[in-house]
This record gives sequence, structure tokens and C-alpha cells, in this order.
Amino acid sequence: MDDSTTPPPPAARVAHLTKTYGSTDNPVRALDDVSLSIGRGEFTAIMGPSGSGKSTLMHVMAALDAPTSGRVWLGETEITGLGDTELTLLRRRRIGFVFQAFNLVPTLDVRGNIALPIELDGRAPTALERARIDGLVESLGLANRLTHRPHELSGGQQQRVAIARALATAPDLVFADEPTGNLDSRSGAEVLRLLQTASREHGQSIAMVTHDPIAASHADRVVHLADGRVVADTRGQSAEEISAFMTARELRATEAAS
Amino acid sequence: MTAVTAVASPPRVRIGGFSLRERGTGATVLIAAVATAFAVVLLSATAFLSASISANPHVGESRTFAVVSGILTSLLVGVAVYVASIVTANTFATVVAGRVRQIALLRLLGSTARSQRRDVARLGLVAGIVGAVAGLVGGTVLSFAGVWVLENAYGIAAPGLELIRPVLLVPAAVVALTTWAGAWAGSRRVLRVTPMAALGQAVEASTQELSRSHGRTVAALVLGASGVGLLALGVVVGLSSPYGVLIAFPGGLLSFTALALGAHLVMPPVLRLIGRLFGRSAVARLAAENALRHPERSSRMAIALVMGVALVMMFAVAGSSAIGVLVASAGGEAPPEMTAGFTGFTTVMMALVAVCGVIAAIGVVDQLALGVHQRRREFALLRALGLSSRQVRLVVLLEAVHLVLASLVVGIVLGTAYGWAGAQAVLGSVKLTPDAAATLVWPVIPPIPLIVVIAATVVVALVATVVPTRIATRTSPVAALAQD
Repeated sequence: MDDSTTPPPPAARVAHLTKTYGSTDNPVRALDDVSLSIGRGEFTAIMGPSGSGKSTLMHVMAALDAPTSGRVWLGETEITGLGDTELTLLRRRRIGFVFQAFNLVPTLDVRGNIALPIELDGRAPTALERARIDGLVESLGLANRLTHRPHELSGGQQQRVAIARALATAPDLVFADEPTGNLDSRSGAEVLRLLQTASREHGQSIAMVTHDPIAASHADRVVHLADGRVVADTRGQSAEEISAFMTARELRATEAAS
Repeated sequence: MTAVTAVASPPRVRIGGFSLRERGTGATVLIAAVATAFAVVLLSATAFLSASISANPHVGESRTFAVVSGILTSLLVGVAVYVASIVTANTFATVVAGRVRQIALLRLLGSTARSQRRDVARLGLVAGIVGAVAGLVGGTVLSFAGVWVLENAYGIAAPGLELIRPVLLVPAAVVALTTWAGAWAGSRRVLRVTPMAALGQAVEASTQELSRSHGRTVAALVLGASGVGLLALGVVVGLSSPYGVLIAFPGGLLSFTALALGAHLVMPPVLRLIGRLFGRSAVARLAAENALRHPERSSRMAIALVMGVALVMMFAVAGSSAIGVLVASAGGEAPPEMTAGFTGFTTVMMALVAVCGVIAAIGVVDQLALGVHQRRREFALLRALGLSSRQVRLVVLLEAVHLVLASLVVGIVLGTAYGWAGAQAVLGSVKLTPDAAATLVWPVIPPIPLIVVIAATVVVALVATVVPTRIATRTSPVAALAQD
């Protein structure tokens, strides 16, 4: 094997991942033997209708939930089997989060919310982190909002604060769970552009869970999930193509059922 | 508990979504029970004393004792019921605050605000009645046990003593009704919930509560000023006449009421100051900011505890200061029987007013748990962002310590001031030497009651963290973040 052709290690990887919920008599299989790599520096969208297992996949990859079987790596670190404290530290230092709603701590101002993962680590931001935060605050247009509390911000502004927080530690991987779900189309497009920029210009690895073809079309790569399995893995699809693909699949599923 | 719930909550109560199973009602029932049992035991104790005094051939029937004990009992029960209704009102305000979205949804579907509020108040009445009945039974059982011990172990007879009397129903009814009133007062916020809140964002709307009523602030200031004025006048008059205490006493009552009304003026600065002591770490800030998130709620929660601490410290300081004067007037050696009498009286009074502290403590324990329960999503977010379970525990512990410490400090200061003012008003006119003009009483803080009060509040803080810690650490981030 030639070293020069070895691709860089992925930002995250899962192998033969299974997750079942419910009782042993009537198990619900949310993930069914999923194997997947999230490329370093890439913006990956994980798509699927509700109940496809995309949120479960994100929760397991982000060390928020444990799989029933299978293995999960973040970078080179295998996280399956790690204890609660190690997983907590991992999330704090190496993972960033942007959720659909309830993203910010209501008692902390914008500055406090952005620096929270660093401060939870019991330290002051390093010079590098300070510079990064200043740059983010500037480019996200939050400079005159630093002392505002979340309830004084619009939904789009709150989501930008969440993005600044997620990027502040330059984590191995940022997970975004329906980040545009609660926003109007203009704020939504802006949030997607910001994620795209972070990935293209700063090499930030991002995994975004969404059911919105337009949101997914901003990503470099789209992984389609259905019934807990990966059903397609595409690159460079437009929103129309993604939408058409999903409709076709649904039609086929309906036909198969009837 | 489940049997009681099943019997006592008719389906109507549940139409509004509020049932006795609601978090917070358990504590309301418990508080009503403690207040009622306290009154029953107190009434039985005075009946016992009066019966045993009447049986004494040297004393015979004492009308003075009946009158004095009657007034004392009413005052003590009154204060306990007062503290209980503050706690109840606060509990219900917290319950309502955590239910805004649900209330808004019902409003959206066509329920009126008044009927929603009636549902909440009715829950208060049911909780009050259940608690009062439990307290009636519990208090009577305690009374029988106490009389049995006194008669058999100490040989003190109380012939003709009736422990089950119709008069016991009076405090029970008062407790049930004040619980209802407390629930009514606490549910005022229901009226401000608009159907729009059901559609709003999941972000908490406001850090500052908007209900700063001006009337309330003015009333608190007026009552406070006149109360302190009367207290000062009582102390000054007390320099020449022991009747100064008759002026100081209503001053004390007025200023105490002002304190309850103006808690939102007094407590936030203290809470802010103590919050600063915790430092600037993320955990400390998360905990400290929480007490100030709903300044009014935290203040009222704290003020009940302040009252408990202040009442106990008042009797402790008054008693010790009085003994100090006794010792001085006797030229260094007070008659032991007088000292013992004073100490005995103040100890009994401290024990009696400590019931207020217990009621307030139940409120603190319950409301901290309620607060954490309502912030499960916030804890889930923090857990996702990297708050370790050890840090979660620390946040909850600091939150409890914050509130309890603030209450302790204010309570000790107030109790010392009240105790000193009382002692000064009563004893200021005692002439230590024949040619002395007046006596200045030194406030003496006796160490043992102080240590007991501090230890008790430490226990409250620790107990108050048990349930919230469990709620906060057991909530899975995934589950809490998934729910809307």
C-alpha cells in the first residue's frame, strides 16, 4: 500500500451499528447494521424521513446515546465502551452541537454561551481560542449582541450563537440536528451558508441531520437513511435531485406495501 | 399517598390538567398537615397544663393562664399558618410557571383563564383539606402519646382532660382555607398566560418577572417604615418604662409583614452578593444566575426560611440579652432559678417557632426540586455540551447553598435585631444602680442556638439537593432534547 494514496482518517466512523428500542418481545430497530464514515473537513448531510433513524445515528455518533451493538469512532478514538466521564469530556472538547431548538442556556449572555464548553473545562480560553471566538463573533454579526440574553435574540441570531459556540473549540466534528427546522427560509439559508463556509474555508468537519432537501443540498455529500439503513450515498446533488430521489423511494415503498 | 390521591381528586380537577399528582402538591399537603398538627398539639398542651394547674389545690383554676396561653397559641399558630401560606403561594406560582405552555394550549382550545385559575385554586383547597385532616389525626395521636408519657413516666396528672374537642377543627379549617387562599394567590400568573404562549419559541420568555406591582412595593415600604419607627419608639420609651414593649411589639409585626411583602426588594441584592462569593467558574455562574432568574420566586422561597431563622434567633437573642441584664443587675451573679426560668421559656419558644422553619424548609426542598424538574431540558443541553455529572451535582448543590445561605444571613441579622429590640424595650427601664438613668442592653448571641440553627440550615441545603440531583443526573440528554 502506498502512503501517498492513503486518504486522511475520517472525522468519525461507525461499523455495523444497531440500535433497538422497546421491549424484547416487540423491538423497534432504529438502526440496522449501519456502517459509515464522515470525511474530515467535509460537510455531510444525513437525510431521511422521520423514523428513518437519522437522529438516533447522530445521537450515537455524538456520544449522547449508546448503541445496542456495533462500534463508533471519533477520529482515532473508539468511543464505544467509554465511561460517562470520558464521554462528557469528549463532547466538551472534541464535539460541537447545534440543535433545532433550545440551543442556548437562558441565564447566560451571548458571550457566556459561546465560551461555555471552554469554561466547563475549568479554564480560560487560550489566545488561539480567543482569536477564533473574536473572528466568529465578527463574521456572524454578533459583535453588538455579546451581552444580550437568548430571549432578547431572534431565532436566527440564537442559531448563529449556537454555531459560534460549536465552532469555538474547533472540534473534530460538529453535529447539527435540523439546524434550520425552526427558522424562516432566509435565516435558514444564512445558517446553512455559515456551516458551508466553516467547512470550506476552515476545514471544519460537519454532520448535519435533516429531512429538508434544500438544507441537504448545501452539503458536499448526502447520506440517505431509511428504516434504519443507509440506502444511498451521493455527492453534489441539487435540492431538486434530492427531492426527486426521496419521492421515488417513497413511491416504491408505497407500491411494495400495497 | 396513592390511596389518598385516588379518593381526593375528583375527575373535574383533572380537566384543567392539574391533579394531586402534580409535582409540588405533595409538599403543600405536608405543609398543611404540619401546620394543623402543630396547632392541635399546642392546643392539647395548653389544655393539659390548664387541667393539671386546676388540679393543683394550691393554685386552683387560673383565668390568667387561660387568657395568656390562648393569646400565645393564637400568635404562634398564626405565624405558622402565615409562613405556610407564603410557601404554598410560592409553590403554586412555581407549578403554574412550569405549565405555561400547557395552560396556553388549553386557552387556545377555548378554556377561559378564570376557569383555569379556579382549577389551580381547587387543587389547593383539596390539598389543604387532605393536609388538614392528616394533621388533625397526626396531631391528636401525638397529643395522646405525649399525655401518656407525661402521666406514666413523669406522674403529672391532668384530670378531666379532653383531647378530642370541637375547637381543634378551628385551626384545621383555617389551614385548609389559607392553603386555598395561598393557591389562589400563587395562581395569579395563570391570568397573564395568553394562548400565544402555546405557539411561542421554546426559549424562556423573560428573565425578569413582570409582575412587579407598584402597590405592593409601596405597601411594603410604608409598613416597613412604620414598623421600624414603632420599634425604635418602643426602644426609646422602653428606656423609661417597661411598657415600651407594647409599642415595639406591633412595630415588630408590621415590619415582619413588610418583609414578606417586600421580599423582592430585600433578597435579590443579598442573593447577588452571595452568588459572587462562589467565584466566576462556569458551574458557579450557572448556579448563581439561577437564583436570580426568577428573583421574585427565589425571594419568596428564601423569605419563608428567613422568617423561621429570624424567629428562632429572636427568642435566643432576647433571652440571652435579658439574662445578661439580670446578671449585671444582680452584680455579677443572677439568681439561678430566674436564669433557669428565662432559659426554659426561651428554649420552649424557640422550639415552637422552629416549626415555621420546618415549614419553610419543606418549601425550599420542594421548590428546588420543582425548579430542576422544570429545567430538565436545560440540564440535558448542558450535559450534551460537556457538563459532567459531577458538575451537575455541584450546580444543584450550589443552588441550594446559595438560597439557604442568603436566608441564614438575613435571618440571623433580623432575628438579632428583633431580639435585641424586644429585650431593650422590656428591660431598658431597669435601673442597674440606684442613680443610673437607663440600661443599654447588649445584644448577646448565644452560641448553642446559633450553632443549631446553622446546622439545621446546612441539613436543609443537603436534603434539598437529593431529589434535584437525581432528576438532573438521570435525565438522558437525548430524551430531554427530543421532546418539544
